[in-house]
Amino acid sequence: MRRREFLGFVTPSVLVMAGLLVLPLYQTIVWSLQRVNYGEAGEYVGFANYATALADPRFGQAVLFTVQLTVVVVIALIIFGYLLAVLVNSLGRSKPFVLGVLLVSYVVPHVVGGAMFSWLFNSNFGGVLNYAISSVLGTDILWFADAWPNRVMVALNTLWFMIPFAMLVILAGLQSVPEEILEAARIDGAPTWRVHWHVIIPSVRGVLGFVAIISIMDVLRTFDQLVALSPQAVQLGNESVMLYVFNVAFQDGGQQLGLGSAVNVLLIAIIAVMLYPFIRGIAREARHA
Amino acid sequence: MSATLERTPVVTTPGTGRPPRRRWTARRYFVGGILVLVCWAMLSPIIWTAMSVTKPTDVAFLNPPVFFYEPSLQAFVDLWETTQFYQYLINTLVVAVISTVVALVIGLPAAYALARMPGWISAVLLIAALVFRALPRFAVVLPMYDLSRALGVYDTTFAVAAALVAINQPFSIWLLRNFFAEIPKEIDEAAMVDGCSRWQTLVRVIIPLMGPGVLTAGIFMFLFAFQEYLTANILTDISARTVPVFIATQLGQTLPMLQQAGAAAMLLTLPVVAFAFVAQRYLVAGLNAGSVKG
Repeated sequence: MRRREFLGFVTPSVLVMAGLLVLPLYQTIVWSLQRVNYGEAGEYVGFANYATALADPRFGQAVLFTVQLTVVVVIALIIFGYLLAVLVNSLGRSKPFVLGVLLVSYVVPHVVGGAMFSWLFNSNFGGVLNYAISSVLGTDILWFADAWPNRVMVALNTLWFMIPFAMLVILAGLQSVPEEILEAARIDGAPTWRVHWHVIIPSVRGVLGFVAIISIMDVLRTFDQLVALSPQAVQLGNESVMLYVFNVAFQDGGQQLGLGSAVNVLLIAIIAVMLYPFIRGIAREARHA
Repeated sequence: MSATLERTPVVTTPGTGRPPRRRWTARRYFVGGILVLVCWAMLSPIIWTAMSVTKPTDVAFLNPPVFFYEPSLQAFVDLWETTQFYQYLINTLVVAVISTVVALVIGLPAAYALARMPGWISAVLLIAALVFRALPRFAVVLPMYDLSRALGVYDTTFAVAAALVAINQPFSIWLLRNFFAEIPKEIDEAAMVDGCSRWQTLVRVIIPLMGPGVLTAGIFMFLFAFQEYLTANILTDISARTVPVFIATQLGQTLPMLQQAGAAAMLLTLPVVAFAFVAQRYLVAGLNAGSVKG
């Protein structure tokens, strides 16, 4: 392919991305150094916004909450995603049907899925799960007004809509494990759990790492489901980093657009570091091509 | 189904992959039992919502909950008659269709070029796309809000569709590029020896060859636009509001409105649930070939 043809083919797409992704991103970086409001020229304040963010206990709590949620959800995703993939992999004719059911939570919009989840738990709206749990325990758990029950509910919901992705990618990994190795392990008399631990898991390690990195980046950006599941997020300390940005930079007319932009830039820096292994892989491929 | 999808591992039909295994039946019952429980748990929020919205309004949200009731579709009728749901649904569909078509029209040639031209320019573009895929939405959506107000396109479906084309472009480029990379270069060369230009090769030979790949990318673009809450919430107010935004605004309301929000949620969910079954092989192929997930 000649260079002129190449440029002709990529230009429309590159122009759209330059205009609607790169320019806005540049604007965010500029805003992060200003005291500014929508539609007005900002006033340069250096790194004051970054200092404000790092000194704000509410931001600290948002980071803590987001990291807790990420650690718990990603570990659960890997474990349950793997187990579920193993179960689905052993199915025969019923596999398409089961996959269809398991994909449902992936295609429902997250804010709608969160709302449906909240109705299972909310005693004001006759939530069936809340009713069952309080009948067994004898006390009411305040899923929306207590910090920890609320966190558990948010984590469950996040797991609910992310597990189809984890399961499917791990399933594809499982199917690429050579049958001969499994056969050999079984002939040697290895019990099932040892086949998994010593043979299958080591050979799908790359896939598990991929699922982990993608999921970490997704959970760090948690926003939609909190709108439905945690109306009192600020009071409970259950704000995610993205919800914090929304609340300080948009909700009340965007008084602190500079602060929100500074937090965005910090989050981008963290995500870029996590992307490093992928970036190195692409660069290496380009060098060898 | 053509070659592209058959090469992705998960979609193999039973019998083509590994030989059928004879299993100890008690174990199969165990696996089946666990999977039935998991499926039931995964569907329970949707089943419960379906029950809540078909109850008569006075018992819909009673605690303890009512399990036996006379089904009623009153909440759907009220939703249709007392809210702008119809308008929001049209907005959602307009945004999804426009952003899908535009994303494919500009994404297909770009992805093709990236798959066929190795080297540092492609690597830089692919890395940039990867980084933008993983960006926190607010970093681009808040400036877009400012821009849309300045340009006077705030609260239009055009603004939401344009934003989604840009936001989803990195994902579609990666997905399509991976599908293009599976088609051997020799086919391009043969077409060009026969007198096709690059453009004709792409439109007449390569795109028809990867039909299911194009469909997969289109399905994902449509799904992402259909699901989008954050971007639509920031860029719309009343007239271009989409269904997910409408449902979110109704959540703080009291009983009749809340039951209508549930009805809206069901109307939005049922088509995508049907879709999960019908388009399953494309979703599976896309999730695996996408490399960068949305």
